[in-house]
Amino acid sequence: MTGHAGILRHAIQRLLGVIPTLLVLVTIAFFLIRVAPGGPFDAEKALPAEIQANLNVKYHLDEPLVQQYLRYLGQILTFDFGPSFQYKDWTVNELIGEGFPVSLTVGGLAMLLAFVVGTVIGVTAALRQNTAVDYGSMGFAMLGISIPNFVIAPLLILLFAVFLGWLPAGGWDWSLNRMVLPVITLALPVIAYVARLTRGSMIEVLHSNFIRTARAKGLPERAVILQHALKPALLPVISFMGPATAGLITGSVIVERIYAIPGLGSYFVQGALNRDYTLVMGVVIFYGLLIILLNFTVDMLYAWLNPKIRYDEKR
Amino acid sequence: MLRRGLGPEPDSLHIHRAQGLSAIQLLREIREGLVSFDAHGEPAPGVAESWEVLEVGRLYRFRLRPDARWSTGEPVLGDDFVRAWRAAVDPASVATTAGLLAPIAQATAIMAGHATPDALGVTAPEPRVLEVRLERPAPWFPEVLAHPVTYPLHPARSDDPRHAAVNGAFVIEEMLPHAMIRLVPNAAFHAAVSLRLEAVEYLPIEDPAAELSRFRAGELDITETIPAGRYQWLRENLPAELRVHPYLGSFWLGFNLGRTPFAANRALREALALAVDRETLVRVVTGAGELPAWGVVPPGLDEYAAFSPAAAALTQQEREDRARALYAQAGYGPARPLSVQLRFNTSSQHRRMAVAVAAMWKQVLGVRTELINEEWKVFVNNRRMGTQTQVFRGGWIADYADPTSFLDLFRSGDELNNTFYRNAEFDRLLQAAGTLAGGRRSAALQAAEQSLMRDMPVIPLYYYVSRHLVKTGVTGFHDNVRDIHLSRYLGLGGG
Repeated sequence: MTGHAGILRHAIQRLLGVIPTLLVLVTIAFFLIRVAPGGPFDAEKALPAEIQANLNVKYHLDEPLVQQYLRYLGQILTFDFGPSFQYKDWTVNELIGEGFPVSLTVGGLAMLLAFVVGTVIGVTAALRQNTAVDYGSMGFAMLGISIPNFVIAPLLILLFAVFLGWLPAGGWDWSLNRMVLPVITLALPVIAYVARLTRGSMIEVLHSNFIRTARAKGLPERAVILQHALKPALLPVISFMGPATAGLITGSVIVERIYAIPGLGSYFVQGALNRDYTLVMGVVIFYGLLIILLNFTVDMLYAWLNPKIRYDEKR
Repeated sequence: MLRRGLGPEPDSLHIHRAQGLSAIQLLREIREGLVSFDAHGEPAPGVAESWEVLEVGRLYRFRLRPDARWSTGEPVLGDDFVRAWRAAVDPASVATTAGLLAPIAQATAIMAGHATPDALGVTAPEPRVLEVRLERPAPWFPEVLAHPVTYPLHPARSDDPRHAAVNGAFVIEEMLPHAMIRLVPNAAFHAAVSLRLEAVEYLPIEDPAAELSRFRAGELDITETIPAGRYQWLRENLPAELRVHPYLGSFWLGFNLGRTPFAANRALREALALAVDRETLVRVVTGAGELPAWGVVPPGLDEYAAFSPAAAALTQQEREDRARALYAQAGYGPARPLSVQLRFNTSSQHRRMAVAVAAMWKQVLGVRTELINEEWKVFVNNRRMGTQTQVFRGGWIADYADPTSFLDLFRSGDELNNTFYRNAEFDRLLQAAGTLAGGRRSAALQAAEQSLMRDMPVIPLYYYVSRHLVKTGVTGFHDNVRDIHLSRYLGLGGG
């Protein structure tokens, strides 16, 4: 059996495993949000009984819970997440459709930035181990990891928007200059993390036998690093990037709030606080699917990068 | 182009589904009812050019403007109101604010499902005449007609509110959910020639701190609010832009009169009320120019003076001495201190308030207060049920500028009466005021509030203020007690 067939079979097995995982996710989320005290229509003024009853009929909240659950399962098979309870003029599909491209763009750019800058810093630090460059960049990385983004964001706004006036303080219109600050805010801690991971594994790789061999063959240092050392050194970074990407492209609540970005992140919090059952469910399922797919992609990438764990050789 | 902060994303732009303040603010810009507001936030003729009040306040006859038109060009006629109001009270259309139409004959019966919507007391005897029959006189009724739930609907009842025909000063040009709503003048609007703005952009910004930075970066002309705790800083740094004005809202702490220890214990309630130093509270804790409160009806209403008891004239030292005496009289003291739960909904402002009040009670009386922070949905349910509450955060913002908007909350058995206050005399005074007018009505309402505050079901703490930052170049922005600033009166000058 060739390696490629092994990967393919493994891929299909993994994809089939998605279905029970999602079902468990849907079930837990569906019942948990309904167990929370208070309902979607609770407000300071209680609604007249007749109107409350009609609302319940309209949203099928009058049916027994199990029936609602089965109805919902049928609905999501067609990828119809229903109308939002809170944002009554929109369906959940429309809200995700409007919000996800925004989060994907900001998160994607942040991830790209973090990966490029992080690996460059990490490799540089590893090559100049225990020098001022190494200590300086690792100190910076430590700072990036430990300062939370709700501190960095207002500082960036104050500096670049309020005092210097170079960039807008927030908002969204798909223009590049509105993306700069949120992308940097999101990327900073990830840059720091990637840099530290890269440095660590690069140092380890540089001490391994095959690098020594490559050097002994008389290869130029540049080729040793780029062709032989970099690929294995990036393995831990790749496995970190799967969940990290999922976290970034589904939107960060804090960054969205501070920069007033219409992404997906705020729907998690707003949806839960408003008991917007359909919105919460829609976002949870969407997020769940995304994480599963990204982890899957990372595993595949990993197998391709690391011959040691090609999946056919275990059996 | 004028850029305004909107606060939260509007919940709906359908006149029957909109509930939140931001949705109502937007609807007022793109649609118009029989009544609208002038540049100073006072009710003014809208689609109706004039009206007569007949049969001692039970019948209103509105004459509609001949130049009132939909954005599609068709005239706005009486039938557009009849159709819309019938739909509003029809339980099937689940209009959440339809309760405001309750004064209209048969409205309550229809909402309860006991009558059909066409029984509603509204007719259009001529195309541009609308007659509304009320169950009983309601002097505030014209102001209700400025609320979106009373707006007309275009004959082609579109259920897509984002693209429906409108009859207001502006139309929606573009909408990006949670980011931006751009309005441009509606050429068919009857006062279109008076509009000074080429476009208005409403920006939903939930975080007041984010709103402030955008204002400082020059991306906003008018903010929806200011961040808590930044009033002093703004007063020093942006004095020309900061606009703080009394607002028709009251903040109080309610007692649950249905449970111990506050049921039938007026002395204890008054002791707790007197032990709170309101002046310190508004100066240090809320700190945005709020006024200390002694009653539930805020100042700023016509022919109505805010309630001021004898205690208001005392020094805080005298109030505290009296509080200690009453506390002892209620059977409490150092040997037997009161333990009480103070509930509030999640908000940094409310937390600061609760901590301060608890400290004052502890200092003056030795009361042990447990602070309970609840998420909004849980909080409103607990408050309504009354099985767990003791002292809770309460308050009200006027639906319409009339004392009854506040006093009705304390009627026996009222839906919103979270204190479970019951006083036949108070109910009778409110009832009696319903049949009176002018100064005699005010006197009756004033007497009702007096009897309410004698029983002290709540501790009034302060009256609200509206807070905005307004760029100095914005013209036509007049502070007012309703905090209504329609963009049709605003302009952008130099400066």
